[in-house]
Amino acid sequence: MIANAFEYTAPQSLDEALGLIAGGAKPLSGGMSLIPMMKLRLAAPEHLVDLARLKELNYIREENGELHIGAAVTHYEVESSPLLLGKCPLLAETAAHIGDIQVRNMGTLGGSVAHADPASDYPAALQALEAGIVLRSAGGARTVSAKDFFIDTFTTALEPGEIVSEIVVPVEPGLTGTSYQKCKHQASGFAVVGIAVRARRENGVVSLIRVGVTGLSGSSYRAENVEAALQGVEPTGEAIRAAAGLVAHSVDASADMQASSEYRKHLASVYTAKAIHAALSRSA
Amino acid sequence: MKIAGSAQLPFSPERTYDLMQDPVLLAKAIPGCEALQKTGDDEYSLKMKMVLASLSGAFDGKVRLTEPDRPNSFRMVVEGSGKIGFMKGDGLLRLTPKDGGTEVAYEGDAQIGGTMAAVGNRMIDMTARMLIKRFFEKLSAEPAA
Amino acid sequence: MATTVTNIEKLVGKRIRRKEDPRLITGTATYVEDIKLPGMHHAVIVRSPHGAANIKGVDISKAAALPGVAAVFTGADITGVGSVVCGADLPGLRKPVHHILAQSRVYYVGHPVAVVVATDRYIAADGADLVEVDYEVTQAVTDPEKALAEGAPAVHPEWPDNKAFVFLQKGGDMEKAFADAEVVVKQRITSQRLVPNAMETRGVVADWLQAEHSLTLFTSTQIPHLARTILAGQLGIDENRVRVVAPEVGGGFGSKLNVYAEEALMGFISRKIGKPVKWIESRRENFLVTIHGRGHVDYFEIAAKRDGTILGLKLKLIQDLGAYHQLLTPAIPTLSVLMMPGLYNFRNIDAEVIGTFTNCVPTDAYRGAGRPEATHGIERMVDLLAAELNMDPAVIRFKNFVQPDQFPFPTATGLNYDSGDYGATLQKALDTIGYDDLRKQQAAARLEGRLMGIGISTYGELCAFGPSPATPAGGWESATVRVEPSGKVTIHTGTSPHGQGQETSFAQLAADELGVSMDDIVVLHGDTSVIPYGIGTFGSRNTAVGGPALFYALQDIKEKVKKFGKMLLKSENVVFENGKCTCQVSGKEVTFQTIAGAAYRAMQLPPDTDPGLVATKFWEPSNFAFPFGAHIIVSEVDRETGQIEIKRYVAVDDIGNQLNPLLVEGQVHGGAAQGLGQALWEHGIYDDNGQLMTGEFMDYAMPRASMMPWVECSHTTTPSPVNPLGVKGVGEAGTIGSTPAMVNSVMDALMPLGIRHLDMPLTPEKVWKAINGAA
Repeated sequence: MIANAFEYTAPQSLDEALGLIAGGAKPLSGGMSLIPMMKLRLAAPEHLVDLARLKELNYIREENGELHIGAAVTHYEVESSPLLLGKCPLLAETAAHIGDIQVRNMGTLGGSVAHADPASDYPAALQALEAGIVLRSAGGARTVSAKDFFIDTFTTALEPGEIVSEIVVPVEPGLTGTSYQKCKHQASGFAVVGIAVRARRENGVVSLIRVGVTGLSGSSYRAENVEAALQGVEPTGEAIRAAAGLVAHSVDASADMQASSEYRKHLASVYTAKAIHAALSRSA
Repeated sequence: MKIAGSAQLPFSPERTYDLMQDPVLLAKAIPGCEALQKTGDDEYSLKMKMVLASLSGAFDGKVRLTEPDRPNSFRMVVEGSGKIGFMKGDGLLRLTPKDGGTEVAYEGDAQIGGTMAAVGNRMIDMTARMLIKRFFEKLSAEPAA
Repeated sequence: MATTVTNIEKLVGKRIRRKEDPRLITGTATYVEDIKLPGMHHAVIVRSPHGAANIKGVDISKAAALPGVAAVFTGADITGVGSVVCGADLPGLRKPVHHILAQSRVYYVGHPVAVVVATDRYIAADGADLVEVDYEVTQAVTDPEKALAEGAPAVHPEWPDNKAFVFLQKGGDMEKAFADAEVVVKQRITSQRLVPNAMETRGVVADWLQAEHSLTLFTSTQIPHLARTILAGQLGIDENRVRVVAPEVGGGFGSKLNVYAEEALMGFISRKIGKPVKWIESRRENFLVTIHGRGHVDYFEIAAKRDGTILGLKLKLIQDLGAYHQLLTPAIPTLSVLMMPGLYNFRNIDAEVIGTFTNCVPTDAYRGAGRPEATHGIERMVDLLAAELNMDPAVIRFKNFVQPDQFPFPTATGLNYDSGDYGATLQKALDTIGYDDLRKQQAAARLEGRLMGIGISTYGELCAFGPSPATPAGGWESATVRVEPSGKVTIHTGTSPHGQGQETSFAQLAADELGVSMDDIVVLHGDTSVIPYGIGTFGSRNTAVGGPALFYALQDIKEKVKKFGKMLLKSENVVFENGKCTCQVSGKEVTFQTIAGAAYRAMQLPPDTDPGLVATKFWEPSNFAFPFGAHIIVSEVDRETGQIEIKRYVAVDDIGNQLNPLLVEGQVHGGAAQGLGQALWEHGIYDDNGQLMTGEFMDYAMPRASMMPWVECSHTTTPSPVNPLGVKGVGEAGTIGSTPAMVNSVMDALMPLGIRHLDMPLTPEKVWKAINGAA
């Protein structure tokens, strides 16, 4: 549990950080995943650049009908932000499910998203919110949709030299209801399955539904088959149950000692139904 | 730990079988493979570097292809060890024609030991799945003949 | 002259917060890791990644060449050091030689192979990475039943059947019991391997002083004196030149009731390099190489009459010992056998224990040590019998309890239960939880298709270890009361509390006896250079054995105080109360503090009395103490997911008199957390190759505060006649009582589906599969 020797820089500015990262340094944010790996000597970066202290990455603000959340914002800040609780409760609700209070005080939104652990919580919410992920390098910035960002197990659209700098979420009218339902791994606290739903009911039928899934397989994804089954449909218990049953269709589900693939798929459909019910009940 | 699954390849069973016996292609398809050298009739030495999220490690090991039954099935054993631990995958691959291509169904055991095992069961399962997926994706990219 | 007699409020029996807590919760306590000595080096141990392998070679050249590395040792370098000691003995016991570093073979993942010593811990870790070990991997066996099968790989080649011992215990007439039986219920029940996971991992600092030919060893242990005796023997140093100190110890739960290879190894290294050396166990090492608990496969058969009268119990117990014996490894399952009868009045038992070697880390004492396994077994069997007979599980228990007029009650296993009223405790638990009403609610829930369960466990335990003949190294305890000239009081206890709170409860006891403030009392423990020989802390013995030793030492002090009081007050008619000697005739008083000063100043001494005010007592108990209780858990199982929700948890424990009910409750809550951990979450799983699959907190589900229900604690009080305080012991009670209550509750919930038994832990997937298999 003793890391290899490494160099550590706490840069004064984002530009300085990006310059060091372009030169091969590894970005460090909350360190909730990287530091344990380093202590086991499974990861041995030579140079760490600490992003968590950069003010330039530490903000939550509303601009032009969008919420902008800096990458260095901690899970606890996401969970407790009055702005997010009011205008994007799904993200706050999701953050509250992460790890424990110590992890939420240290871990950051950007760090978690960039790490792309397939059982982390945010990806489900970001998929359901159709969030934008701003990637920045010394050469400039670009925005990628959540759907295109999460590619595979620990694999994202990040290119070498790029960091996640911001999450952008459109502000929606109060008609939309959201919910994140998670089955927690009894040991790790990661999502065995985690389902985020954003939905709207108008005139008795589902007028909008987005379903983000995490934990079930090697990467988070949008369950578009579930969405299609409910779009424009009266959300009866039966209809929701049938749609939720599609969530794991043709998915190569993960397995560990806590949950086999078969059980995970079953849980995914149960939690999808729960999340849809909860989201619709919050759709005014 | 049990590993089972299947992949669809756009080749005939014979072509699929031959591709998977070709050391040059195996070297290209095995994720992280840096060198693969024939050391016996059905045995190759292997050097690979695994990089996954922040984890990285170099492994020395071997690949064995046994129980040949062209074009129906064979067994593949991959093992490696390095500073961060050791791993072994032992699986029977069955080839059956399907939808104009070949379905490769695999079933076997994956073992892991040493410090690497400390990352948790979940990570090992996901990693094994991803490595297998990448292996078949690389193979699929080969020309049909 | 008139006097006002002020009765100082008695502290024993009060809920008093721990004196220990401020330093613990402010991070100012001193653990082994906090100890820094001048010139101190650091050791990192190279461990086997394989469950079974021959060592073909160890190349230390690169490690030894690393700047900062002071020394590298392998098995071949360890000379003149005795092997790890097993203190237990059984007829025909096979004891493998347990070298402190592996010689030519490794037997489990984590087996120490080499050790790198360097000027700092980082360099030592870098050096350990450079040690190259050439292993020839051989076949391992990790499942005890597989280990016993024909043709299994031999853990120790010299004993191909993998049997360390077979232990038989018979009582009564089992043949007659089964011949008379109208119903026999059989069940295979496992108690899975658990990883104790004390919050503080182990750690050692060894400091050899060549000039004095002495060794000081700081170690995170529950048994500093026993460790000193054993380590002195292993290292060939005179016992009076070895000082063992247990500084603050962050939990043990039995895992530090041991003397491990690393303790002797650090002593050896310090002597070799002539510098102090520190080794701190990583959490990963703690999972892999500190003892595990439980590890049973039990085959039970219970014989009964149709009216529910239990006639006898048979048990075949396969104990997974691991690869070696640690201090008490083989003894633990024999404790299970002793407690097989539980609280029930049957006299026929027949047990066979097969101690089995596996390529796993040794099992040994873990909170409850053998008794949770036995209690889980008998409590499950009683429930299965009740189900078979369609009887209420409370009714069948009342029918079979040992009755209050039967005490002292000799059991079929040779124990003598001290005192109890088992029916009263169960009745109180039933009344508290509203049992009859709950059964009605359950019937209604079942009609709705909901799976509600009510689980009862009426446990008994044997603790307060114990009479010396029943223990491997003495079962008495010591206490010294040292009154300083100022009247401040220093207590030395031979127990080694590490979270149990005796710095508080013993101060309460002494404050009451001497009539001084608790703040004037300091309780010291854990340093063999300060404290007279003691046995240590385990088996719920601090209060029940250490307490009486202190009590009697206090009586001696009081006697002597009275002598001085009589002298100073010039009267024979003197009482010592509330911290003062008072002349019953004149009403004149002299305070405890004044007397203490006089005893040391010694201007004048009472007849036949020495100066000073110190008393030491070694106290030997005549018997174990036998606490008991009734735990009831109400749960609901989600049919769709198999997830279990605990609705209510009522615990009624009878642990005799209580010194501090707040500490008692803390013990019950903590114990219940560990017991529920076994029932629902925890499992040390080895794969067939000897890899620990749950070797970190990512896979090993430790109970957390957020996972715990509120435990509604209450008590009945049946004082133990075994000791003057009437106390029994509570350290393990919660762990023993909770597990079967939880499992019985879930099994009760699943009963309408025809599910008879599931083994622990009751993970949601296991329950879900059972529900679907049953459907």
